[in-house]
Amino acid sequence: MALFTILRAVFGYLFLVLIVRIVGRRPGKQLTPFEFLLVFYLGGLTLTGMVGQEVSLTNAVCQILTVALCHYALAWLRYHFDWAAQLLDGSPLVLLHQGSWRSDTLRHMHIQDDDVMDMARGQGVKDLAGIRAAVLESFGEITVLPAEQQKPSDDAAR
Amino acid sequence: MPATPQTALVQDSVPKVDDTLAVGEDLGFQRSWWRFERFIWSLFLVILICDVLGLFGRGWLAKARRATPDNALTLDYEHIERASTPSVMTLTFGPAAIQNPGPNGKIQVFVSNSIVKPLGAQRISPQPSVSAVGGSGITYTFAATHAPAVVQIALEPSFPGIHPFRIQLPKEPPIDAKVFVVP
Repeated sequence: MALFTILRAVFGYLFLVLIVRIVGRRPGKQLTPFEFLLVFYLGGLTLTGMVGQEVSLTNAVCQILTVALCHYALAWLRYHFDWAAQLLDGSPLVLLHQGSWRSDTLRHMHIQDDDVMDMARGQGVKDLAGIRAAVLESFGEITVLPAEQQKPSDDAAR
Repeated sequence: MPATPQTALVQDSVPKVDDTLAVGEDLGFQRSWWRFERFIWSLFLVILICDVLGLFGRGWLAKARRATPDNALTLDYEHIERASTPSVMTLTFGPAAIQNPGPNGKIQVFVSNSIVKPLGAQRISPQPSVSAVGGSGITYTFAATHAPAVVQIALEPSFPGIHPFRIQLPKEPPIDAKVFVVP
């Protein structure tokens, strides 16, 4: 029945959104090999259930349109409602601020100090002492704000 | 005339950490989310255990057996099945089911239409010598010599739901059962 193919597409999309949200953010600018595996495997398995035995072009087109509409609906919700944005993206999280680690955040997000230092090195920071703050963004990247350099005029004034 | 862009004043609306760093962190929400994650991971584990046990078909809990009082017919089937997934229903006939035991013996069994349509009977093995339709089902006749005799019906349910079915031997009480087909 055509309705079931549409419902399967809606369920498949929303289920994948939940799984990707639950699996969580991992720091890094690029997908790791494990994340590649996860993306292709999840996609393939979902496809099997969504398509079933109905392999017509009409079915494929209708399911693609359904997924596109679902995606648009989530984007609309995310733009209009703060709660939807938080639910879908999460909130940015401070990992390090003014010389202190946020240890519970690191533990829950499975992030180690090495991961923060990896990102810091990419931005020219030599050691952890040179970091003013590190933030895990909602899209998974760690932003490192370097500690402010003391101005030469400040030194001269002393 | 070129279109004028719509503009709005920039407001400092992103919450700051220690009044210095505009991050927009919401630790209260995040802690609730972490609790939700712990719950959902436990739920996933429970779902997988139920799956292994057969609560969603194809496992120990899914198997069922029904029989007539004199064991003329014993029915082994799965009372939980998965849509578009093959399974086998086995009918084992005892001595009381065989009419004229010997070279000219035969077994007659009535199978309701629901076995054919919603439960998706794909084939019956061995092939019956006669199939007669009527009475909301099909009456199959098989050549049979001695008990025990076994007939298998390959099923592949086409859509989810609860599908009742009936199997009956002549002059025997029917076996009425239901199959729950999960998506």
